[in-house]
Amino acid sequence: MEDLKPTPMKKKYFTPVVIGLAVLVLNGLMFLLARFIFGIGAVTNLDNQHPWGIWIGLDVAAGVALAAGGFTTAALGHIMHKDQYHAIIRPALLTAALGYTFVATSVMIDLGRYYYIWHPFIMWNGNSVLFEVGICVIIYLAVLYIEFLPIVCERFIGRVKLPGFLKSLNNPLDKVLRILDKGLDKTMFIFIIAGVVLSCLHQSSLGTLMVIAGPKMHPLWQTPILPLLFLLSAISVGLPMVIMESLITSKSFSLKPEMHILSNLGSMVAPLLGIYLAFKIGDMVIRQTFVYLTTFNAASVMFTVELLFGVIIPLRMFMSRQVNKSPLGLLIASFLVIFGVFLNRLNNFLVAYTPPYEVHSYFPSIGEISVTVGFIAFEILLFRIAIMIFPIVSVPNTSVQRTKYSIRGGAQ
Amino acid sequence: MKTRMLILFIFCALIVNAQTQKKVHPNLNGITCKTCHSCDIPTKENPCVIPCPREKMISIDQSPEEGPSVLTIDKFKKQTDIYAPVIFSHRLHAEMSGMSGGCKMCHHYNPPGQVIGCSDCHELIRKRTDVSKPDLKGAYHRQCMECHRSWSGKVECESCHVLNGKKQDIDSKTLVAKSEKRIHPKIIAPTILKFNTPKATGKIVTFYHAQHVDLFGLECQSCHTNESCVKCHAKDKTALLKAKTTEQKHSVCSSCHNTKQNCNSCHSNSVQEGFNHATKTGFDILKFHGKVACSICHTEKGKFTGLNSECINCHGKWTQENFQHKVTGVILDETHLTLECKDCHQEKNYSKPICSGCHEDKSFPKNVPGKLIKKNG
Amino acid sequence: MVNQSRRDFLKTAALAGTAITGLSSKTKAAPKNILSEDRMGVLVDTTVCIGCRKCEWACKTAHDLETPSIEAYDDRNVFKTMRRPNSKSLTVVNEYKNSVEEKFPINVKVQCMHCDHPACVSACIVGAFSKQENGSVIWDTDKCIGCRYCMVACPFQVPAFEFENALKPDIKKCDFCFERTKEGKLPACTEICPVEAVTYGRREDLVKAAHQKIKNYPDRYINRVFGEYEVGGTSWIYLASREFEKLDFPKLGKDPAPGVSEAIQHGVFAYFVPPVALYALLGGVMWINKNKKKSENEEI
Repeated sequence: MEDLKPTPMKKKYFTPVVIGLAVLVLNGLMFLLARFIFGIGAVTNLDNQHPWGIWIGLDVAAGVALAAGGFTTAALGHIMHKDQYHAIIRPALLTAALGYTFVATSVMIDLGRYYYIWHPFIMWNGNSVLFEVGICVIIYLAVLYIEFLPIVCERFIGRVKLPGFLKSLNNPLDKVLRILDKGLDKTMFIFIIAGVVLSCLHQSSLGTLMVIAGPKMHPLWQTPILPLLFLLSAISVGLPMVIMESLITSKSFSLKPEMHILSNLGSMVAPLLGIYLAFKIGDMVIRQTFVYLTTFNAASVMFTVELLFGVIIPLRMFMSRQVNKSPLGLLIASFLVIFGVFLNRLNNFLVAYTPPYEVHSYFPSIGEISVTVGFIAFEILLFRIAIMIFPIVSVPNTSVQRTKYSIRGGAQ
Repeated sequence: MKTRMLILFIFCALIVNAQTQKKVHPNLNGITCKTCHSCDIPTKENPCVIPCPREKMISIDQSPEEGPSVLTIDKFKKQTDIYAPVIFSHRLHAEMSGMSGGCKMCHHYNPPGQVIGCSDCHELIRKRTDVSKPDLKGAYHRQCMECHRSWSGKVECESCHVLNGKKQDIDSKTLVAKSEKRIHPKIIAPTILKFNTPKATGKIVTFYHAQHVDLFGLECQSCHTNESCVKCHAKDKTALLKAKTTEQKHSVCSSCHNTKQNCNSCHSNSVQEGFNHATKTGFDILKFHGKVACSICHTEKGKFTGLNSECINCHGKWTQENFQHKVTGVILDETHLTLECKDCHQEKNYSKPICSGCHEDKSFPKNVPGKLIKKNG
Repeated sequence: MVNQSRRDFLKTAALAGTAITGLSSKTKAAPKNILSEDRMGVLVDTTVCIGCRKCEWACKTAHDLETPSIEAYDDRNVFKTMRRPNSKSLTVVNEYKNSVEEKFPINVKVQCMHCDHPACVSACIVGAFSKQENGSVIWDTDKCIGCRYCMVACPFQVPAFEFENALKPDIKKCDFCFERTKEGKLPACTEICPVEAVTYGRREDLVKAAHQKIKNYPDRYINRVFGEYEVGGTSWIYLASREFEKLDFPKLGKDPAPGVSEAIQHGVFAYFVPPVALYALLGGVMWINKNKKKSENEEI
């Protein structure tokens, strides 16, 4: 078997796509500026009936779900010790770290009093689901950064070259990196397990978040097992996310897709998705909510689309050997799962939310969309920068030695 | 010994109490203590009055002239200073309420005797423990708004109040004087009303209003229930003439008349005559019973079903002692005075006497058993 | 070597465990949520309300909100549209047609219901909401971060947010005149109401009084006191002449609004046993897998 070694990508940063993304980022920034100067009401379509828009429903809820690749691969690679998947852990980790940073930032700009974002650390409400989600996300974000540190160490140990007057710091910094590296090597397993536990907690609690909305939420989605559904869907979306990332990165950097890994991953998606579907259908049957599907409205259409295109079709696709073997098949199937979970979060937080005294229904404003799109574009740009600086994407290499927790990759 | 004295004392106190009770409520016709009080012996300290509203609405009735003509409601001076006190034309309102229930429209649950003011039951301070009845301010406004709302549909405070600090066109003293003069014009009751109904046959209903009041002894409220000022003063009369069901249309009459059958007894193609006892029942009351109120004979309230027309049915057995024959226009002479009634009047309605029992050659009215006088009335 | 690392593993795992459980003991410190037997309430009799909107004026005046003059409230044109409380008016009165007696339209005052088991208190991330001993549910400006989860949670759709305020937006809602009642005064709306359609008193007494009214005037009221049981009971309760749902009251069950979510939350975090157990389980799996790998490697 050919061995893989994570290496920084060497390529020109600016491409037409990158420039296009940069424009989107700038556009988003302008609206973001307006939000901070004129208030949330000036930029968004939010009102007293619709307190949460896409900045929460999409950026946060869907963002957290789609960053699930981080903990699923960590569980697979480190906890289950499936060493063959180590090649995908680093990209997944980077996506998760960036994704959660993006989530945290989105939460912050959505907060009316963003400068009080630290309040939950000292003002606790154990009954609040949001409190739990918030604390878990923040701790998990810290854990993700810690998990990322060894990559930084690997890249810079012995290579710290600060410019100008900072030169004198080169040596101490190098020492700090070495100490960190040594310490983290011994304790990394704590953070890895903690990361998985924290993820399970807040992925599920994200579902509990909407339970308190009670009858304000459409019965097709409102169920006491929402946390379970959220957790199951997050677990099933983790691997498709990694598959899609890997395929797109390979394409973008003209590498050969690592099909042997991706096919194996693909074959694991079907059972996970199957369990999710079983619970979703079971819940619908037990609560007899299928009656709402007989009427034709936004809720029933969105629910059907979510279930059919987001779960059932990709499930069938992942069950097929042929699909698992073809890069295009995997890409489409993975995209559908991602689309399904994305839509599910959007449905849960926005479509299903039907406030009692609605004057007009909510649709995101240009400002909201711009900011969200800008954030996503910025995340992609950051991802591109990161894989060019840090050894993240694995490329074929024959002379590699494995270490205890291969998060550190090959070099030692 | 001491305890005996004590018991005696309490006993006396109770008796005294029971007697003074009558002073508080002088004319309790038909009402027992239990209507208003929950305990056996209410005292001034513990009247144990059943919380309002009690099941039975009891109240007093006075003429509008008996009450005050103008009241200045200034009990809230200290509490709220948004509005100036209201000058309330009490007499005018009392007169207005005459059609729709009288004093009890406002003075509800007022025990017989003196009229008591709102503040005797309704607390002045809104923050209170007994929340079962509204406080004084609430009670006032609820009474006022019930009519004012239905009349004008408006709830503007300034239709009654003046904002404090706002310059008034008229000072309060002149306002009081002016209000004293304000009286409601006397409500004139009609004698006959002719109704054109949409009925194909029997289009006309002739309603003898005066007869219903004078003859049948109906009070205003017995028909004009829950009638507010709007009945006469409505700005928009069309609202009152809204389509009603047959049942609703007849509801005023159907409390006495059977409106489901015998349409022809009221509906006719021409104007009908008023009630005439002789033609309607065959018993001419004008002869001797013209001045007798219906209820004297038709004792059962609201029922005017046929009675036995025999005199004995009401009068019992007539004797010389209880019957002054001169009311018939004939003063009996000494001979006939000693006879039994039935000796001459053999028919049960005591009409024409028969002389042939004693006299072969005499007959009434050719011969009279006494002296003829002019009949009085 | 294996022993060494195993001991390390257990030590650090135990340390992490205690750190998390240490956290848990403090998270139990929920915000103030008192359900006093003597809590106050308000009985709103919608059959008595005349729609004069003086309560709106009094509320704004008591809360230092901008308001037109008191005479301006006589304008009944506002009833043409259904209004909801917002950041500028904490209570509003709406009008509904009375099909039985058109002369007497039905007016319904809307404000925070001050639930006995408030969803906002349960939901607030920083515990800025609290249910006070006197029944009021109030909001603490020093804590709020403006996340608006309270608005998502509230079954009556009451909390309003100052969307137009960029610097320090507040959550605005009726506070049952907490500052006034503290001084022994009445809530502003209940004080000014000319007809006392809003009666302030002990909730328990008000519920009794409401049922007495229904018993005395069965034709006037429908046999239901809204807020007696809805979402576990509310401090503000309502009487009406027709179905509450027709007067735009939300259709709600008897279970407290935060019930299910708190049950899930406390189920998942019961003394932090489930997370710690999961942590231990994953640690065990990881350790076994690692050893298996190692022995495989050694065998090779």
